[in-house]
Amino acid sequence: MSVIELDDVVKRYESGAQTVTALKGVDFHADRGEMVTIIGPSGSGKSTMLNMIGLLDTPTEGTVHLDGRNVTGFTEDELTEERRTTLGFVFQDFHLLPMLSAVENVELPSVWDTSVDRRDRAIDLLKRVGLGDRLDHTPDELSGGQQQRVAIARSLINGPDILLMDEPTGNLDQDTGRTILEEVTRLKEEENIAVVAVTHDEQMLDYTDRTVRIVDGVIQS
Amino acid sequence: MSVADALWRFPSAMMAWRNLGRNRMRTALAALGIVIGVVAISSLGMAGVALQQQATSNLGSLTNQVSVSAGQDSDYDGVTEDQVEEIRSIITDAEVIPQKSNSTTVSSRGQEAYVSVTGVTNAAALYDVTSGEAPERLQTGALISNSTARELGLELGDPVEYDGQLYRITGLIDSGSGFGPGGGRGELVIPISGLADQEHYDSVTIIAADGDAATEISETLDEHFNTDGRDEEEILRVSSYASAQENINSFLNTLQLALLGIGGISLVVASVAILNVMLMSTVERRGEIGVLRAVGIRRGEVLRMILTEATFLGTLGGLVGAGCSLVVGAVMFQLVVGDPTGVLQWASARYLLYGFAFAVFASVLSGIYPAWKAANDSPVEALRG
Ligand SMILES: Nc1ncnc2c1ncn2[C@@H]1O[C@H](COP(=O)(O)OP(=O)(O)OP(=O)(O)O)[C@@H](O)[C@H]1O
Ligand SMILES: [Mg+2]
Repeated sequence: MSVIELDDVVKRYESGAQTVTALKGVDFHADRGEMVTIIGPSGSGKSTMLNMIGLLDTPTEGTVHLDGRNVTGFTEDELTEERRTTLGFVFQDFHLLPMLSAVENVELPSVWDTSVDRRDRAIDLLKRVGLGDRLDHTPDELSGGQQQRVAIARSLINGPDILLMDEPTGNLDQDTGRTILEEVTRLKEEENIAVVAVTHDEQMLDYTDRTVRIVDGVIQS
Repeated sequence: MSVADALWRFPSAMMAWRNLGRNRMRTALAALGIVIGVVAISSLGMAGVALQQQATSNLGSLTNQVSVSAGQDSDYDGVTEDQVEEIRSIITDAEVIPQKSNSTTVSSRGQEAYVSVTGVTNAAALYDVTSGEAPERLQTGALISNSTARELGLELGDPVEYDGQLYRITGLIDSGSGFGPGGGRGELVIPISGLADQEHYDSVTIIAADGDAATEISETLDEHFNTDGRDEEEILRVSSYASAQENINSFLNTLQLALLGIGGISLVVASVAILNVMLMSTVERRGEIGVLRAVGIRRGEVLRMILTEATFLGTLGGLVGAGCSLVVGAVMFQLVVGDPTGVLQWASARYLLYGFAFAVFASVLSGIYPAWKAANDSPVEALRG
């Protein structure tokens, strides 16, 4: 069974008199242990689609199923709960909090929960992405690639089912991008999670299991 | 490391603390606004207390006294023995001290001084001696004011003469302080027998437990002696200083309210500054807060984090402000009352607490809107920047 499923999702933005239809009836699914890459020209609706999958935004029409549950009518607080427990996010510009150390950044999504072993899990995750010796460094003391690895560790702290990445290699050079993608592929298999990525980066296609192409809000192929 | 670990147990507090630490200058300036507000509100409040204490100490111990003398409708030129007995029978729970008074010139070693003379038996209840003693039954000795003694070179044990009779000085008293009889003039206190040629008492002093009791006694006496059927007349003139004290108090209370109002305005200004700072810093951190929301931090937790920031600002400013106010208050008490420790009494120290509490309250209040706004921002919009 697919861990995430979009059925005939339409997203319209109303800005004044104008209406932009960013998604025009999109069907999508992703399974555990699978990496799906969404590609398409700029403005075609990739980020909008990822926001639907990531429960950051709600569709104008259509339904979203998470782990077989229909989450379309969920309230903001219920969606927040799902994001924390089931989803992990990695952004193009890392989005680490500058006043927190690497390990604190990794702990952040779990810090308001009173689980006991999160510090150990955070350290373990940082070790797994090769940053065991940078635990107490703040983001400004880390390179772009290292920051993105901290972000990946952060996305996994709550043991998600799905990892969402919007242009994860967009701000990194080729070699760094490659090591990040290798890292993600390894973690995808170890944790048996679905990875959904949006990219312009050709080399990402070497790591992907399946590619979805979107043009002007419509899925091709 | 361990402090940070402990703080992580209160993530809102931890995050708030770190956020405030990011822009220390801005935090300091925002807190400074609060400090000024607290100093204004507390020191103006304490100024009112200092003034009140000064006024009270000027009235001296007189506020619990009732003074009775012959009224305009009296048939006598003083308070009669019978009237004194009548007063004693009505007022059982206060000291009733009849006095006779005159004035004379006292001379010694070629120096002369004009003094008022008071004949009284219970000198102890009426006078505080600075040296020697004031007996409860003054029968042979005399009390004399310090200033007169100094003027005439008299000391304890020396004799003074009044109306051909010699009295040995047993105690020295302070004179010229307060609004009491005699004002700045020197005073000689002798046994009541020394003024035996005056038939009636010039005045009767009644010493009550406190100002309220004094007011009550004066009302009772007024009603008893001065109401004949339905007619008002003045057989005895009954006056107490409690009403003077009340007037002064009500004036001072008004003054204090005005001062606190001014202090309050400055704290309102300070909270507008905090509102501005909180709003700016949440707008700047919009993307960051979007990330928090994206990774599953609840709206309530974002709200709490930002409110905690405001609370910290208020607490910080409030504490520093209370510290500064304490110093300001001590200086003020030194200047007005002459005793800097007066600031520590609850009557004035409570304004430190009020100032601090108001600072925290105002900060939290001005944190609410920015916190609410940040917490309810759509994460998608926030992440787009
Ligand atoms: N909040 C919004 N309000 C109005 N229009 C929007 C909004 N968000 C996105 N759009 C529009 O929806 C369309 C899809 O935008 P989206 O960001 O999904 O594109 P994208 O494929 O991610 O592009 P890029 O590769 O440049 O990131 C665009 O035409 C965009 O202008
Ligand atoms: Mg995009």
